Amino acid sequence: MTHLLAQLFPPSVLRPMELGADASIVIATVAIAAFLTRKRRWGWLWREWLTTVDHKKIGIMYLIAAMLGLFRGGVDALLLRTQLAVPQNTFLGAEHYNEIFTTHGTIMVFFMAMPFIFALFNIAIPLMIGARDVAFPRLNAISFWLFAFAFLLFNMSFVVGGSPNAGWTAYAPLTELRFNPSVGENYYLLALQISGIGTIATGINFLVTILRLRAPGMTLMRMPLFAWSALITSSLIIFAFPALTVALALTMLDRLFGSSFFTIGHAGMPMMYVNLFWIWGHPEVYILVLPAFGIFSEVVATFSGKALFGYPAMVGSMIAISLLSYGVWVHHFFTMGAGAAVNAFFGISTMLIAIPTGVKVFNWIFTMWGGRVRTTCAMLWQLAFIPTFVIGGATGVMLAVVPGDYQFHNSYFLVAHFHNVLIGGVVFGLFSGLYYWWPKMFGYTLNERQGKWAFWFFLIGFWVTFFPQYLLGLEGMTRRIYIYPHGLGWSLPNLVSTGGAYAMGVGFVILVYSIAYSARHKDLDLTGDPWDGRTLEWSMPSPAPEYNFAVLPKVSTRDAWWTMKQAGRTSIRLGEIEPITLPKNTGMPFLLGLSFFVAGLGAVFSWWPVALAGLGGVLALLVWGWFVETGDHVIPAHEVRRSETLPGRLEA
Amino acid sequence: MPHARKTERGLLSLGGLLLLPRFEHSSGPWPQIVGYALSLLLTLAATLLVVHHLIAPLYLPAVILFLAVLQAGIQLGLFMHLREGVGPSWQIVALVLAGIVALGIVIFSIWIMAFKSGVS
Ligand code: HEM
Ligand SMILES: [Cu+2]
Repeated sequence: MTHLLAQLFPPSVLRPMELGADASIVIATVAIAAFLTRKRRWGWLWREWLTTVDHKKIGIMYLIAAMLGLFRGGVDALLLRTQLAVPQNTFLGAEHYNEIFTTHGTIMVFFMAMPFIFALFNIAIPLMIGARDVAFPRLNAISFWLFAFAFLLFNMSFVVGGSPNAGWTAYAPLTELRFNPSVGENYYLLALQISGIGTIATGINFLVTILRLRAPGMTLMRMPLFAWSALITSSLIIFAFPALTVALALTMLDRLFGSSFFTIGHAGMPMMYVNLFWIWGHPEVYILVLPAFGIFSEVVATFSGKALFGYPAMVGSMIAISLLSYGVWVHHFFTMGAGAAVNAFFGISTMLIAIPTGVKVFNWIFTMWGGRVRTTCAMLWQLAFIPTFVIGGATGVMLAVVPGDYQFHNSYFLVAHFHNVLIGGVVFGLFSGLYYWWPKMFGYTLNERQGKWAFWFFLIGFWVTFFPQYLLGLEGMTRRIYIYPHGLGWSLPNLVSTGGAYAMGVGFVILVYSIAYSARHKDLDLTGDPWDGRTLEWSMPSPAPEYNFAVLPKVSTRDAWWTMKQAGRTSIRLGEIEPITLPKNTGMPFLLGLSFFVAGLGAVFSWWPVALAGLGGVLALLVWGWFVETGDHVIPAHEVRRSETLPGRLEA
Repeated sequence: MPHARKTERGLLSLGGLLLLPRFEHSSGPWPQIVGYALSLLLTLAATLLVVHHLIAPLYLPAVILFLAVLQAGIQLGLFMHLREGVGPSWQIVALVLAGIVALGIVIFSIWIMAFKSGVS
């Protein structure tokens, strides 16, 4: 018993900060449970959300998870910056700092950016291509619940058992059991493995959806650019994630079953872990940023009132980027010393990526050129993205110069670079998409005035945080250090950087406040097309009805909805409405996620009976899901007609 | 293949009914079950070979590689519906691409990791 308690609650989870987190978790859980009980909402929660296979609702759940991830990762970031604000600070100890930057990086990549991207895929892609759902609706729900339970598992680590501490990259031999006996790394390995299964399934799902379920007449070259970016991202996921799966699985075997793939002893090869991790890792950064490119391509065309400039070049450059992205991974470990030939090859291939990326930047600018640009919040994020991302890209090319990288590597120059592209590219893009598609999700727009405050705090905060870090890097401050002495010239830039981080925090708080405010004072979108959009999702009422399209659209051009508006073909005919068949809800995906959670938790603590019970549940549910058809339900035509009459879109 | 073409058109015209792809279940789930059992067996065989030192270290990698390729073939054939489907054989394009990526990863990894012999 005491042994079990010591395992569950080692000293690292009994620090005041962790105990405070415990208290707030308990309070929040009790409050939510009490609220659901008082309002009698448990059944509603189960029927409407936990068992849903509707891509729009799954998208909203991804979005909620992503905002929670942004909160957790953001709090971690502020803790790190607080520790670094002044020299010789004693706010966090060395071990604590390691745990927090590991958690921050892992959450931001896997449990903030990825779900945010899948949220927007789920919400927008089927609507943009004129489909009633994704190709495999139940698999879509399975992906979500694997992700959600993995997120829960990862987040538990800091209050039960201890956090991972080997960086978001979890390099061997930092993860080797001999050097790192706490269960923290097990959480990392199991949680990422479980959510990785869901991610691969999502990649397959959207690949098939886009290839097979496009509206009649929508050829590939008539697809909205966001759909193109989702198609390419999906193929990147399918080809890249298996490398991560292997790297994590072998590390898990080393830690849990005594093998020696990456150990120092027994002829293990720690460097092979690094190699495998980045075979996945570099494509991963394009998995993160290509969707943002897609979002910007939609937003810039809509708010410039013009068709996207150079559509074929945009598509071609995205394909070029995705192919090149497989051939550059060594730039993450030039300093391993693989030799001049290897490094030169990968340095040059890396620089080549700048070319298609530059093509895209010019095309976005030319789209605005001569257009009537409306500076809504969605567009502001786009406008801020272009210069920010260009600078992030330029410093990336600097890092690709091998001799230079021997100086920059793992310094704050690198930290500044990757935040420059991850925040300036990915997060700005996701925020832009959030503002853009919000009315389609919820039926009202977000408050623009508050949104602009959030934008300016975030943007200025961003530059104040990360510009000084380039200087710090050049001054020799290395990454992942928790303390530094006086008198190195690092004190002022660090203080400024921390100030900027707090400004970004304020921006985030304003954003959340604005979401709450907009939900209470709804600025309803009655037209379904609040931005004068160009693509099919704006052809239906907001929020999108359960069945998406009352009548599937026929597409004859790019920017299909724009063409329909020009030709005055915006309403649908009564006679064309037919009954619509949709898949039924099912609890299987949720239970599958739960079983994986149990199996994962069992493996984390090496409680094998628990792990086997979880795996048994997985197997049973898969067999059940194989043989039992969940079936469909039919929405009768008169119901479709009624819900379409409300917005007055019907023509007798 | 008149029947196949009809299915294709059905998918494209997208009556809501066709949201879920329906494969022709001619043989039931048996190929999958056999494939699963074979995959487990081959994995077990590889593990035993390593754990119990059943083969001289010189030949071990080659044998394991052979088992891996065999298993990949089984999984593609029996799980991935490689031979089912209608219309043009897009699977082949994806397979060739996968082959190139896999081969590239192996060759480049060997090249990258070859530095070890120079260092240690
Ligand atoms: C909101 C503003 C953010 C601030 C103030 C911030 C700050 C930091 C800090 C202080 C570190 C630790 C640096 C070190 O000690 O080496 C860090 C690391 C990292 N951050 Fe952020 N960050 C922010 C947002 C993000 C976002 C949005 C992402 C990804 C989408 C991200 C990804 C990472 C990664 C991958 C690491 C590396 C972790 C590691 O070394 O293992 N960060 N960040
Ligand atoms: Cu890279």
